[in-house]
Amino acid sequence: MSIQINDVSKSFGSFKVLEDISIDIPTGELVALLGPSGSGKTSLLRIISGLEEADQGAILFNGEDMTHIQTTERKVGFVFQHYALFKHMTVFENVAYGLRVRPRKERLSKVKIKEKVEELLGLVKLESLAGRYPSQLSGGQRQRVALARALAVEPKVLLLDEPFGALDAKVRKDLRRWLRRLHDEFHITSIFVTHDQEEALDVADRIVVMNDGKIQQIGTPEEVYDHPNSPFVYDFLGNVNLFHGRLENGKLVNGHAEIEASTAKESEGREAIAYVRPHDVVIERERVSKEAVPAEIVHIHVVGRTVHVELKRKDVDEFLEAELPKEQYRKLALEHGQSVFIRPGQLKVFIPEDFSI
Amino acid sequence: MAGQIPLQLGAKKTKSQSVTEPPWVRRVLISAALLFLALFLVLPLTAIFIKAFEQGIDVYTASITHPDALSAIKLTLLVVVLTVPLNALFGVAAAWAITKFDFRGKSILVTLIDLPFAISPIIAGLVFVLLFGSTGLFGDFLFEHNIQIIFAVPGIVLATLFVTFPFVARELIPLMQAQGSAEEEASLTLGANGWKTFMRVTLPNIKWGLLYGIILCNARAIGEFGAVSVVSGHIRGLTNTMPLHIEILYNEYQFSAAFAVASLMSILAIVTLILKNIIEWKAAQREQQEDVV
Repeated sequence: MSIQINDVSKSFGSFKVLEDISIDIPTGELVALLGPSGSGKTSLLRIISGLEEADQGAILFNGEDMTHIQTTERKVGFVFQHYALFKHMTVFENVAYGLRVRPRKERLSKVKIKEKVEELLGLVKLESLAGRYPSQLSGGQRQRVALARALAVEPKVLLLDEPFGALDAKVRKDLRRWLRRLHDEFHITSIFVTHDQEEALDVADRIVVMNDGKIQQIGTPEEVYDHPNSPFVYDFLGNVNLFHGRLENGKLVNGHAEIEASTAKESEGREAIAYVRPHDVVIERERVSKEAVPAEIVHIHVVGRTVHVELKRKDVDEFLEAELPKEQYRKLALEHGQSVFIRPGQLKVFIPEDFSI
Repeated sequence: MAGQIPLQLGAKKTKSQSVTEPPWVRRVLISAALLFLALFLVLPLTAIFIKAFEQGIDVYTASITHPDALSAIKLTLLVVVLTVPLNALFGVAAAWAITKFDFRGKSILVTLIDLPFAISPIIAGLVFVLLFGSTGLFGDFLFEHNIQIIFAVPGIVLATLFVTFPFVARELIPLMQAQGSAEEEASLTLGANGWKTFMRVTLPNIKWGLLYGIILCNARAIGEFGAVSVVSGHIRGLTNTMPLHIEILYNEYQFSAAFAVASLMSILAIVTLILKNIIEWKAAQREQQEDVV
């Protein structure tokens, strides 16, 4: 089912939680709402589910206006941040709940319900724990029960609020992959809320980056990661190095560096900031271009196959972070205290006045 | 989990040395508490039973099977049967409204629920006399329609309702506040309507708290004296509840009979206390189950 969010706004008192949010989600897409806490992403999810009402705007499922339809009637699967499992029911009863509360006419027979619940428990690999209570399960198991429970009612839309927020790193990665596979198998239109950029980049078809109740950017993971449209998005999606400088003759002058910047003519002479990701910082032993600046290596740490290098620029008093593969690190024979030259491989220039952060 | 509960219990018992008092302080405190209990609770309770059986078992049975006594017992039970379910219903409704919704005047409602605790039972009784008595606000209307509230059973029920209404609500509000509404929301997204959500999710979660509130409410409904005394009119065999009956017997120097009925009430109280303890124990056990994460 496709979801359309049209100009949705919501405020609590004088605090604007959401401002004119519009998103179009085609059937079967997996979308991440990504943003820092307080950016309004959970409120948006709750409005889509009907648990909260928007002050303005409309929610459409398959073109049908759902704005004033109650949660009960919306047929959405909702996975809560802290799972909200029914404490007094076993795993089996939790999953069966949505099937058992249907009006008598639509209800499946007891045997059918049992079959279906067992099938779902098989899907989430919890068959052996059907008789346990939520308090007897680990976090990852609870999360899977919550998913099975939501899927039991065959929702057309699956909404997940920080689905992996409370789990440890390993379980989180497994579940994330599992969710992706599940989605590819069932093609339920899904929206999940997260503050973890890695999670969003890893799982989603499309990412909606939100901040302060507004949408900053919508795009595929590649788009938002490689072509952020604002300093906020750049900053939020991964580490970043900043080069503060002034635009002169189409170049960003910063210390001894003159960095090629393709910006409009009007911005001549203005202050600007170049954003460079650590893995786009090129380290060289000799100065080969005007873009390169001398720097000293202050710290090297190896994490798996990547090497993180911390550098201190010699022209201006600033620190930089670079990331390079191990092979390259060996080829360059970098070591602590060494003097090298760095230049930004790929960068994006933003002029501060255009974006008030 | 079965293996984890005892573990937790064990952990609770072995408190670190730094938070416990030296042995002699503990001994003094414990004996002071026990002495106090003996003096003010066990001794009077025993006295009631000794006094009740002072003139033999025949007098005892005669006192509690006397028509007036029987009618007092019946009336008390009637009041309990009417007031406790009503107040349980009201308490759940009020707690539900206060904890799950936001509305104007919520804090006023919370304050109003405490009103019967705050004012003296005598005043509670007088309020009803002022409203429904022959010279009261609705006195003429009631007289014309031949309805008697004051000095009759309806007045007693009303007064008891008023005095006992905070018990259930007071018990449930903090419990439901702590539980939040996540489970209810989950139930709604799964297609259950409000009533099903309440019956299948909310009620099971508040079950023990609700029972505890009902038991306290029940105890008070049986024992209420002040407010009931004002509206009852003390008509023997008609409007006397057990506490009022005891007072009358006592004033007539029928000590054995008074204490016999009193012993009956004490037994009810003890049973209530035992029930209360069982429920507390069950609820604590359940809570522990939930804590094992």
